[in-house]
Amino acid sequence: MAQSKLVKGLTHSRVWRSLFRHGWPDNPLDRSLTMTSNIFFHLHPVKVSRKSLRWQYSFGLGVVATILYGVLIFTGVLLMFYYVPSVERAYPSMKEIQLSVPLGQFTRNMHRWAAHGMVLVVILHMVRVFYTGAYKPPRQFNWVIGVILLLFTLGASFTGYLLPWDQLSFWAITVGTNIASYAPGAGPVMREILLGGTEVGQDTLIRFYTLHIALLPLSLALVVSLHLWRVRKDGGLAATEVPDGEG
Amino acid sequence: MTNELPVKDEVFPKDTSKSYAIVEMVRGDSPMVGKGPDDTVFSFPIVLLWEILLLLGVTLAIFLFSLAKQAPLDAIANPQITTDPAKAPWYFVGLQELLEHMHPTLAGIVIPGVLVGFLMSIPYLDNSREFAGVWFSSKRGKRIVVWTAVYTVIAMVAFIAFDNAFSIRETLRGVAPPWVAQWVIPGLILAVIVLLPVVILWRKKGSARDIMIALFTVMIVSAVVLTISGFLFRGPGFEMYWPWQMPDGYNPWDEL
Repeated sequence: MAQSKLVKGLTHSRVWRSLFRHGWPDNPLDRSLTMTSNIFFHLHPVKVSRKSLRWQYSFGLGVVATILYGVLIFTGVLLMFYYVPSVERAYPSMKEIQLSVPLGQFTRNMHRWAAHGMVLVVILHMVRVFYTGAYKPPRQFNWVIGVILLLFTLGASFTGYLLPWDQLSFWAITVGTNIASYAPGAGPVMREILLGGTEVGQDTLIRFYTLHIALLPLSLALVVSLHLWRVRKDGGLAATEVPDGEG
Repeated sequence: MTNELPVKDEVFPKDTSKSYAIVEMVRGDSPMVGKGPDDTVFSFPIVLLWEILLLLGVTLAIFLFSLAKQAPLDAIANPQITTDPAKAPWYFVGLQELLEHMHPTLAGIVIPGVLVGFLMSIPYLDNSREFAGVWFSSKRGKRIVVWTAVYTVIAMVAFIAFDNAFSIRETLRGVAPPWVAQWVIPGLILAVIVLLPVVILWRKKGSARDIMIALFTVMIVSAVVLTISGFLFRGPGFEMYWPWQMPDGYNPWDEL
């Protein structure tokens, strides 16, 4: 393909070549290097099987879950600029976000709907992986990691649910954490550790906030990396194992 | 795996004076030594384009949804006034529904614990490699999914409706000790619902995969039925109502 002088001048400049350590990706070598020499792309293999790209196979649910996670990090950080995790100020800061922060209500909407969406998509992803038998050897342990990721996702959503500090969140968390207290023996202690007391209060709010904005998102990022790394080590999606002409 | 080579029927006679020879020629643009055609594409740019497309699509969907529906914000939290009904978030409302029908330790601890344990052990209970990457494994697998799903919907709806109409707990009050009404009977009913498809498949000499398909389908369909029941059919006092006859203008969708 003929490149204009401008494109050529740009892509051959010292600055460009210091950024991208490969040539224009119109040939196999440079297409490979594009993937392997970029930290964001190198999670992908250089080549992928056409079978694993079939839409009706995976519905892209794992990718969608990751995208929703990204949307949640982005909108979550924006909300953190205004939200104050104290019993006195949490609710007023929610009101402030909704009424006086530019696009505040919209940002909160996006955060909430993406959160519900992520729980739903992660569940659907698990259903897809199960029914396609993608947990079979050598992928057994990656399935277990997936179950852990589902639990982390539920935890991240549940801890975020309390933060608005309205009646809805307060009583949902009260009902939800009451379930923990039914565990024989350790139940009441477990609930107390979770709440930081016997009732939902300031200690609960700060615990849930810390879990929600730091511990769970970081754990998710770490374990998702492991999850994706194992997908690659196991040779991509299980779809690639189907002999030609079947499936 | 087919091993047809793009270039065929060419003979390369071995030169007796050389220790190497051309064995075969393959037309292609990547190193293919010792491999048949592998039907792969370069990740750049196809996979990246797919991902960008998904990114735009998902973000657009959330954008539009966020324009159409506002996130709810109720009155400020007040520990003195309980909301009615007080519901857990939608993904736990299935458990809350289950709590209505049995001892809380059974519904809130034992059953979720068993479910997580079951989920994590699936790959170790079914360790065959057959049919990995094929939806429902086979036609037989698909039939198992459909029949188990239909059966589970009927069984779970019947269980919820029956227990709601003739509360096992209340009916047996004074007749049998509480652990019978709240542990043994609901536990047995659920065990029968879960194990019936397993026994049928066992007698038909079903594989481990067949049994996993049945168990997973029972689990996921029960979770859906319980969640719908708890979310849509429970109104004030967590009592059962038709969704279109909710009293006090209660609308569960406002609390999502």
